[in-house]
Amino acid sequence: MTAPSASLAGRAVQARRQQVLPNGVLGMLVFVLTEVMLFAGLISAHAIAMAGATEWPPLNQPRLPVVVTLLNTVALLVSGGMLAWAQRAWRRSSQTVNPPLFGALALGLFFVLMQGREWVALIREGLTLTSSTYGGFFYLIVGAHALHALAAILALAWAWRRLAVGRLAEAQLATVAVFWYFVVLVWPFIYIRVYL
Amino acid sequence: MSLIRRWGAVAVIALALLVLAPDSAHACPVCFDPRDENRFAFLATTIFLSLLPLGLVAGILLWIRHRSRQMACDEPSPDSVVPQGS
Repeated sequence: MTAPSASLAGRAVQARRQQVLPNGVLGMLVFVLTEVMLFAGLISAHAIAMAGATEWPPLNQPRLPVVVTLLNTVALLVSGGMLAWAQRAWRRSSQTVNPPLFGALALGLFFVLMQGREWVALIREGLTLTSSTYGGFFYLIVGAHALHALAAILALAWAWRRLAVGRLAEAQLATVAVFWYFVVLVWPFIYIRVYL
Repeated sequence: MSLIRRWGAVAVIALALLVLAPDSAHACPVCFDPRDENRFAFLATTIFLSLLPLGLVAGILLWIRHRSRQMACDEPSPDSVVPQGS
């Protein structure tokens, strides 16, 4: 084999072995798949409990704040949009990523804080984990989501910090973004099933 | 011959019991809930939970294939590379 043809063959092999997506993103996608199944199982169990109940929500239990949570849902969706904007901005220049990334982080924090405030009010009104199946499912599903949201906010804060010191890689931002998009996109399904 | 017939009859009766007995037992109070709402919820969630993982895995594989093809299109063809010194 002559030198030029060996070089061409080498390039062809290199092209075939090019990484399609970063390892972190692939790992996060696999993790998100398992998390989707967790929430699908919880929502399915909730649907069966709801179908089997004579009265849902139970008459002696407080009603969930539908309107306030709708506003909260909008805040979470906007947060997801801001992260998408941050990723798009990265392709132009990493200097322009900071404002949308901070916006996504701030709106995520706002969502979790508002959910916490809502929980405190509901517990005061008598809806607890053991007050009824309704309460049990509410705290289990919404609580599982809140834990994921907290973990994703920590990941966003970590990415924002690394960006500030100039050590954030695009693959790291993409990995964190996959997790945040999961938290954002699973919430409307929870809202529709649990709150409406 | 009669022995075969006798065992055959026993096998048929045993099979009939296996098939018919569980139907009259109604062991699970949830699965055999007479209300349509509950039966529909069971059926819908079973279909949902069965198809969801397949759909997710298929979606990711299709996306990876699409991305891979896109990258292959963006990559300059090896034929277009002119070896140095030629």
